[in-house]
Amino acid sequence: MSDQVPSPERRPTGIEGLDRIIEGGFLVSGVYIVQGPPGAGKTILANQTCFNHAAAGGRAVYVTLLAESHSRMFAHLRRMAFFDESAIPDRVYYIGGYSALEAEGLDALVTLIRGAIQKHKTTLLVVDGLISAQESSPTDREFKRFLHEIQTLADLTGCTVLLLTNAERASGFFPEHTMVDGVLHLTDELSELRPLRHIRILKLRGSAPVRGLHSLRITDQGLEVRPRIETRLPQGAVNQEELASGPKLPFGLADLDEMLRGGVRPGSITMLLGSSGSGKTLLGMQFLSEGVRRGERVVYFGFYGRPAAILAKCQRVGIGGLKEGVERGLARLVWHRPVEGVLDELGESLIQTILSVRPQRLFLDGMEGFERAADFPERMSHVYSGIAQELERLGITTLYSTETRELFARTIEVPITGLSAATQNILLLRHVEHRAAMLRVLAILKVRDDDYDARMRELRITNDGIRLLDTFAGESGVAAGGGVSSEPRGKEDEAYPGVD
Amino acid sequence: MSTKRSILIVDDEFGLAEMLREMLRESGYEVTLAINGRLAFEILGEGRVDLVLTDMMMPVMDGVELATAMRRDDQHRRTPIIMMTSLPTALPPQPEGLFDAVLRKPFTPDLLLETMNSCLGDRGKRN
Repeated sequence: MSDQVPSPERRPTGIEGLDRIIEGGFLVSGVYIVQGPPGAGKTILANQTCFNHAAAGGRAVYVTLLAESHSRMFAHLRRMAFFDESAIPDRVYYIGGYSALEAEGLDALVTLIRGAIQKHKTTLLVVDGLISAQESSPTDREFKRFLHEIQTLADLTGCTVLLLTNAERASGFFPEHTMVDGVLHLTDELSELRPLRHIRILKLRGSAPVRGLHSLRITDQGLEVRPRIETRLPQGAVNQEELASGPKLPFGLADLDEMLRGGVRPGSITMLLGSSGSGKTLLGMQFLSEGVRRGERVVYFGFYGRPAAILAKCQRVGIGGLKEGVERGLARLVWHRPVEGVLDELGESLIQTILSVRPQRLFLDGMEGFERAADFPERMSHVYSGIAQELERLGITTLYSTETRELFARTIEVPITGLSAATQNILLLRHVEHRAAMLRVLAILKVRDDDYDARMRELRITNDGIRLLDTFAGESGVAAGGGVSSEPRGKEDEAYPGVD
Repeated sequence: MSTKRSILIVDDEFGLAEMLREMLRESGYEVTLAINGRLAFEILGEGRVDLVLTDMMMPVMDGVELATAMRRDDQHRRTPIIMMTSLPTALPPQPEGLFDAVLRKPFTPDLLLETMNSCLGDRGKRN
């Protein structure tokens, strides 16, 4: 005889991220409260669950206790992809319970619900507007009795019940929470000018939910729930001692590859740290271009340039092969608006992309894009750590670019916490003033456990590609923007047309 | 005895039913409310009803069940029935003649009155 306790039977909501948080779905015969302020998405969540349930062969009844008419609700739901009118009334049935409640109280409402469950062979019941039932109840005791009767009905019939209600309560005590199997709390708040929606599982009997706040979005597809990305990724210190063995991955720039003694180690993470316009994106694209040339799969994931514009620019400055790489399926460019989505959406997009492409090389262009999408900045350290672990696990050699806040500064601040700890190599790119000219410079600040050439080189972007020059040979103080020559200037110092 | 036409509104949506009642009273009708088909059928047995205005989805007995019961009943077989529905597309297939008209919510008062007048005018033609 097995000692293993069988898993309780569940009814998925069909909302992928939500099901992931609640361990696969609501329990059969379970009674759940979905609470939140008006506009938080309770009605959409419940309707979406009803239609998904119906599509999976179940039967849902939706009882409204609120003033909103069904036609008004349908008008709002009609634009949602999940709303399937053909499921009404056979598989999704709507009834108003307010009249019965108003006329005869909670007992009449229970009778109405019992009748609806039996008549429609209901496997999912939604009661929208629990607050009306509570307000109709003369005492807390009566209200608890009502909830107990709903629970009994759910037990007897195997029906799963969702009770929707506002979260506001002057007393701060929710007696109904003690009586149900779970409480889902939806919020809708502003962060500066950005609307942020979250869902949080306050209680979930018989399950081990992913706790904390999770992002929630309402689109024409319906409700989209994105579990916090760090809960989906491995956590812990990056094992920097166990970088994948094998030949280094070159940039395809002879001078830079020589400085790096052949390139970067496979599976390593390299930071391109530099000021705006210092050449970070093009250097990253050069790295991907070389990968495509070698027949490797590569991914660009960025925030600042649309793929077409980036490819055109690469073409213009002699960084070739990427467009063909896209056509051959070797390269994929993914672009997100810098403030478009919530952090978890971006994280999920990144993870999905690398899991589907399985690239050898990845370039994350503009890590600030992640930070701007963060609802809570204190999460970033965990998010970066999780991403770094996942990249390492998959053996992906990664470059990421990040901006220094100052164009000219004596001190260099590494702005990203968390990921920088997992970074093996740092390449600095910046502008310097040199003999009355603004030049781009590149220097290797760090290569973990390896030799490298620490010289500061001028980085020129030409129509024929990126070139590294020994413009600053024999000079000091260049990084601070005031190089002083101790040797005569060389041939490379001749005028050379740069490209922005 | 009142000469006003008698209308029975059957709808589980409290606000809508109340609103329709007031509107029809102002237009000179006598109006009775029922919140489901079973209560409506009981009211039908109590006295004269010239027209039934019913919702489709309701608890206990829905609009289709009410109309079916009325068409089987000699006393109410000819009473005009207008179905009100929130669904914009076609209703599930129904037996011919079950409803005299279908109104899609939301509808204007003018359309309601026009539809009612048309149905009440056709009453004598029904076999």
